[in-house]
Amino acid sequence: MDHTVTDLSTVRRPIEEANGLPNAHYTNAAVFDEEKHALLFANWSGLTVAAEVPEPGDAVPITFLGMPLLVIRDRSNTVRVFQNICRHRGMILVEERRKIEGAIRCPYHSWCYGTDGRLVSTPHVGGPGQNTHEGIDRALLGLIEVRSHIWLDVVWINVSGDAPAFEVANAKLLERWSEFDKPLYHGGVQSSFTLEVNCNWKLAVENYCESYHLPWVHPGLNSYSRLEDHYHIEEPDLFSGQGTLVYRQIKGHDEQVFPDFADLAEKWDTAAEYITAFPNVLLGVHRDHTFAIILQPQGPEKTLEHVHLYYAAPNTSEDLRARNAAQWKTVFAEDVFVVEGMQRGRHAVSFDGGRFSPAMDGPTHLFHSWVAGRLAAARVASQAAE
Amino acid sequence: MTDLDTRLLAAHDVDDRQLLIALYSEAADCANDADACGFYLTHAYVYALEAGDPQAASLCARLVAMGREVDPYASTTI
Repeated sequence: MDHTVTDLSTVRRPIEEANGLPNAHYTNAAVFDEEKHALLFANWSGLTVAAEVPEPGDAVPITFLGMPLLVIRDRSNTVRVFQNICRHRGMILVEERRKIEGAIRCPYHSWCYGTDGRLVSTPHVGGPGQNTHEGIDRALLGLIEVRSHIWLDVVWINVSGDAPAFEVANAKLLERWSEFDKPLYHGGVQSSFTLEVNCNWKLAVENYCESYHLPWVHPGLNSYSRLEDHYHIEEPDLFSGQGTLVYRQIKGHDEQVFPDFADLAEKWDTAAEYITAFPNVLLGVHRDHTFAIILQPQGPEKTLEHVHLYYAAPNTSEDLRARNAAQWKTVFAEDVFVVEGMQRGRHAVSFDGGRFSPAMDGPTHLFHSWVAGRLAAARVASQAAE
Repeated sequence: MTDLDTRLLAAHDVDDRQLLIALYSEAADCANDADACGFYLTHAYVYALEAGDPQAASLCARLVAMGREVDPYASTTI
């Protein structure tokens, strides 16, 4: 692996002196794989949202960084994530979104699993018509479960299984947004959409973290939300983002607005915050709605951005939800040329990772620093293991 | 090929799970020996188990009685 080890020594310097991550972190397959393990598998990554499996038995297969996973709501209403493979021959169990009416049957030799992952039948395993064998202990051969946690309806997973508990790893963020830790109501089909962007997933994070670009890329927002109305959110080695002091609710033709979340502090009357929960979940909270954008890396230079909007109450105005979704889709689409342009820029061989505005790029540098720190720690651990 | 074989193949062709449960149960009932009975019962049971069909419990009980299965219903619902 030595030939792919990048020099991160300048990234964690003070922002005035730091460079951004080297080009290879955006273009190189080996570095992408290194980050897959050190950043995305070793921490709590967003996989999907619980709203994708609303009823018991609902199952959705998702390939996350090449790994076949199955998200399922079991009979006791618990959302679980399994590796989507049979314990017998490693066959893919569920190929497309569907309802599991009874058991998950492997299409190869028909080993069957409960929605809770238990291995419940092993047909002919002891010979024709003999479905048990002393060498096959079903209790040890359930589906392989991936550690998961639900917060803000996002299904977070820790593939490595050894990260601190979600509530510990994200304690400061949970505390900061504790007022929004209450029932969220997904806006439905019109309130979710996916953007396919030709960029490394980290560029989507970096662009989301900072407000520096807003007046140039989102002039519509700038008409009421000026640069000076924004503030940085910086928790070193944890999360970063931006906030605004002048959030205005979207209104219907008859001045109708969405209902507010209950018991919010006064500051939320006009504040809104946008934070990246490292590594790959972009979150936004407002008095009347939240959203989550889950970045699904498809390779070094391609990412899917899955957007989901939530409200404080069920049965809000369909028309207003559609308008809110359209407004956000416009904003997020305005960012596409930026992240794709930066991606193409990473093929300029003399680019040194770039320099940061000490005044405006703090949240972005904080993310770079987090990436560099996690990679450095993983490299040390890897060397120690060798 | 027997009439039952023909009907089983036809049910497989159209992937009619309810019919498969019924036909494999019928095949089990018609089988001449325990191994063949266990084979067909297993298929009926697995399709019922997958479909969440209530017949799964009784089919499983028959296999358990024959010493060919263990009862997954003993602990919790699947």
